[in-house]
Amino acid sequence: MAELSLRNVSKRFGAVEVIRDLSLDIPSGEFAVFLGPSGCGKSTLLRMIAGLEAVGSGEIHLGGARIDTMAPGDRGIAMVFQHYALYPHMTVRENMAFGLRNIGTPPAEIERKIADAAEMLEIGELLARKPTQLSGGQRQRVAIGRAIVKQPRAFLFDEPLSNLDAALRSRTRIELARLHQRVSSTMIFVTHDQVEAMTMATRIVVMNQGRIEQVGTPMEIYQRPRTRFVAGFIGAPAMNFLPVTGVTGRGGMAVARLPDGSEVATEVPIGAVKAGATLTLGVRAEHVLPGNGAAAKVDVIERLGERTLVYANLSDGSAVVYDEPGDVQLSVGESVALTIDGAAAHLFGPDGLALHG
Amino acid sequence: MATYRRGRGLGDRLLLLAVVALAIVWIAPIVWVIGLSFKPNDVLMRSTGGIHLPPFTLKNYVDIIASSQVFAWMLNSFIVAIGQTVLTLVIASLAGYGFARTNFPGRNVLFVLVLAALAVPEQAIIVPLHTMFAAVDLHNTYAALIAPRLAFPFGVLLMTQYFRAIPAEIEEAALLDRASRLKVFWRIVLPLSIPAQATLGIYTFLHAWNEYFWPLVSATKPAMYTLTVGLASMQTNFAQTEGIGFLMAQAVFAGLPVLILYLFFQRHIVSAVAGGGNK
Ligand SMILES: Nc1ncnc2c1ncn2[C@@H]1O[C@H](COP(=O)(O)OP(=O)(O)O)[C@@H](O)[C@H]1O
Ligand SMILES: [Mg+2]
Repeated sequence: MAELSLRNVSKRFGAVEVIRDLSLDIPSGEFAVFLGPSGCGKSTLLRMIAGLEAVGSGEIHLGGARIDTMAPGDRGIAMVFQHYALYPHMTVRENMAFGLRNIGTPPAEIERKIADAAEMLEIGELLARKPTQLSGGQRQRVAIGRAIVKQPRAFLFDEPLSNLDAALRSRTRIELARLHQRVSSTMIFVTHDQVEAMTMATRIVVMNQGRIEQVGTPMEIYQRPRTRFVAGFIGAPAMNFLPVTGVTGRGGMAVARLPDGSEVATEVPIGAVKAGATLTLGVRAEHVLPGNGAAAKVDVIERLGERTLVYANLSDGSAVVYDEPGDVQLSVGESVALTIDGAAAHLFGPDGLALHG
Repeated sequence: MATYRRGRGLGDRLLLLAVVALAIVWIAPIVWVIGLSFKPNDVLMRSTGGIHLPPFTLKNYVDIIASSQVFAWMLNSFIVAIGQTVLTLVIASLAGYGFARTNFPGRNVLFVLVLAALAVPEQAIIVPLHTMFAAVDLHNTYAALIAPRLAFPFGVLLMTQYFRAIPAEIEEAALLDRASRLKVFWRIVLPLSIPAQATLGIYTFLHAWNEYFWPLVSATKPAMYTLTVGLASMQTNFAQTEGIGFLMAQAVFAGLPVLILYLFFQRHIVSAVAGGGNK
């Protein structure tokens, strides 16, 4: 059964339609990540679920109850804000107690819940401090603690890692994933960072311009992007896109010809290709194999340590990036031969949709 | 680690010199007033020089205190100043919060009206105010002394700006923590606005304490005089030649509460003057 259910939700600010007729079901206990570029409406959607923004039209249900008509505090939701939004004049303990006091929790129980959360988040020694006396990472933990003590049906996170440095961010990612396993509540996490989405999500909801592009597990999204937008947004380096100059059928599958004349035998059924349509071939760096094949010239080399990205130009000038484990003995301007692994390549139609069988 | 040394450049010394000079210019008259207040009036009739030389006397202060109404006037001033301060804070905070955080039809028009009111000098509305309070027969009451300045546009503006600067996320977090709108205001917004409240409160109190014109117009019965009006009424004439020591003692006396207030709230007053109370 769907824990969180969005039904035809729309929202406009003035003339701008920010969320467009969006429907989504998230099963209980999932770690769902709303992923999309800045300005695509992720925060707006999250704030509508929390009740901080009224829905334009449509309905939101949580745990079987319609919540979009309820006051924010009555929805059983806790939110961790991007800038943490701790109460600056209260100590860490008071920050966590505030919500519990408001619902009349007995003091002894408040103490116990705070102690439990403090232990889980390792913030026990910070309880008497004010937010200004905490580091960014500590504030983050307190904000999570303030959410945990309420034992909400669903946790909402709005880009909570974006203010942390890289090391702390990757550590917090792991801790959030661990937290999710422990509290087993539904979590909804908003980010524009595909690494956060890939690493933490049990389900990724890719958004673009107020619409859902695709919903799926991280590997589904990575391996079978439904649209060119998703394909380009997920994965680093971004997927290679090459214009297709012609398609022929071989053994029922489409063979795409590229501008430099080389051919890629895909596993897309030829029947899915509409005659005369302008197609784009998409292939990730790891599926471009150096050794033999089409001639290319090395343009830029990026050494990441565990692997190296090589940006090269095919004979017609189109750019392709591929990667090799470890270091490479190459220099800029050198010639390489590249083969595209057709089994892992995607074809996108003029409407941006991936072609499948 | 090397010890941190304050800059002692020539520029700093010149600045210090200028500040000291300015301070002397400011303080000299005050010292003179205090000195004169301890001199017998008949000596001052002959010469107002030599304030550091005897004879000294406390008679001027005894005379003030002996005049039966001084303490009543002081009480009036306190009631008016405190009443005005408290009510101004309440009204400016509520109005400011309304402007900063709620959306109602006509909000912007109303806010522009508040801003426009900033440009109206207080003296300009004295006559209509007088007529108004006369019409409802409220002159010579505390209400008349307190009410006219309660809807203080600067206060509303100050609080509006201050509330706007508080991140909305903090209030939203409180809403999600099941706090009612009123509780959010009372437990979150008000405590966070204490610096602005202090600024506005001190400013309003000092203004009310020193206010002369409106009480002079409105309070015509000696029992309703504020300290400023009452002390002025004890002067015999404007080109004062006799009783200068007494007059100076009055000035010191009237200034004492403000001085005490200053000693208590020094820190807030400095930041109020320096930066509108923002952290
Ligand atoms: N209160 C608002 N008033 C007007 N426009 C808004 C408001 N909030 C957000 N928007 C607009 O809605 C769009 C989506 O914003 P947002 O949900 O914050 O995006 P995201 O979180 O994905 O970056 C943006 O174009 C933004 O400018
Ligand atoms: Mg956002």
